[in-house]
Amino acid sequence: MHIPDGYLSPETVVVTYAVALPLWIYGFKRLKKSLNEETLPLIGVLSAMSFIVMMFNIPIPGATSGHAVGAVLIAILFGPWIGFVSVSLVLLIQALVFGDGGISTYAANSLSMAFIGSFGGYYMFNLLKKYKFAPFVAGWCGIVLSSVLTSLFLGIQPLFWNANGHPLYFPFDLKTTMVALVGSHMIFFGVVEGIFTSLVYSFLKEKKNISLKELAS
Amino acid sequence: MKFNKKVLYILFSMILLVPLGLIGESPAWGEWDNAYYEKVLGFIPKGIENAEGVQSFMSDYSMKGLGSVAGYYLSAIVGTALVFGIFYLIAKVSKNAKYH
Repeated sequence: MHIPDGYLSPETVVVTYAVALPLWIYGFKRLKKSLNEETLPLIGVLSAMSFIVMMFNIPIPGATSGHAVGAVLIAILFGPWIGFVSVSLVLLIQALVFGDGGISTYAANSLSMAFIGSFGGYYMFNLLKKYKFAPFVAGWCGIVLSSVLTSLFLGIQPLFWNANGHPLYFPFDLKTTMVALVGSHMIFFGVVEGIFTSLVYSFLKEKKNISLKELAS
Repeated sequence: MKFNKKVLYILFSMILLVPLGLIGESPAWGEWDNAYYEKVLGFIPKGIENAEGVQSFMSDYSMKGLGSVAGYYLSAIVGTALVFGIFYLIAKVSKNAKYH
């Protein structure tokens, strides 16, 4: 889901940055407020886990691969803004140091993988809080929503930006992109995200009795 | 709540296992190199062809002169260190934020 440079039109780039910027600023303030001696190491470790879990490329049929993101885990433990900003920071490192995801597309990638993933997963978790499977469904739901937004960013490119009958940027249409990206996340990577989220969540929950969110607020 | 050190063990085990992520050689859908477009479409979309990415230090989680597994391990360690570093910096900068 890391959209590389050159895949999105300049117009898309401008709009995604314009939307992401205020969200980053507000989220960053929330993150700074949440960080204290107790939460800092845990949010740091969970963000590092997000970085690492994205390195586990899982091959799937159709000569393609994908990975979990780890945003939902942070979102359900510390709130969606913290999940959003933490994973945005991870994505920034990936783009700058490892060439994974572009610079011009960094805002788009943050909106899909970090923002929608965190918020979607967080609200789904709260809806199902009573049930044991809540973290799994939240994880699944969060990353599937991320893939929907990524598909939208990519799929609208050939709709609007062409020259001489040739697409200028990402060339495949919305439907093809949706089927490939959302489909593979529903069947494979969503399940991985769900398992990852619920494993680490239950591990952390067992060991303590106060809500992490209370701690962070 | 005391920081549960066991969560670090999860992170370390994940880092130890990270070369498993190299098994899938196929790129993610929508993250192809330009040769793919040449093959599938017969042309490379102009914007993609002319994209100016940054020369990243450890492009594709690899390092010149290192094998793919060693490069992947190094990437995992560098990435983790950078994440920790950033959070440490944020904490330092916002020291005036409530600390109990």
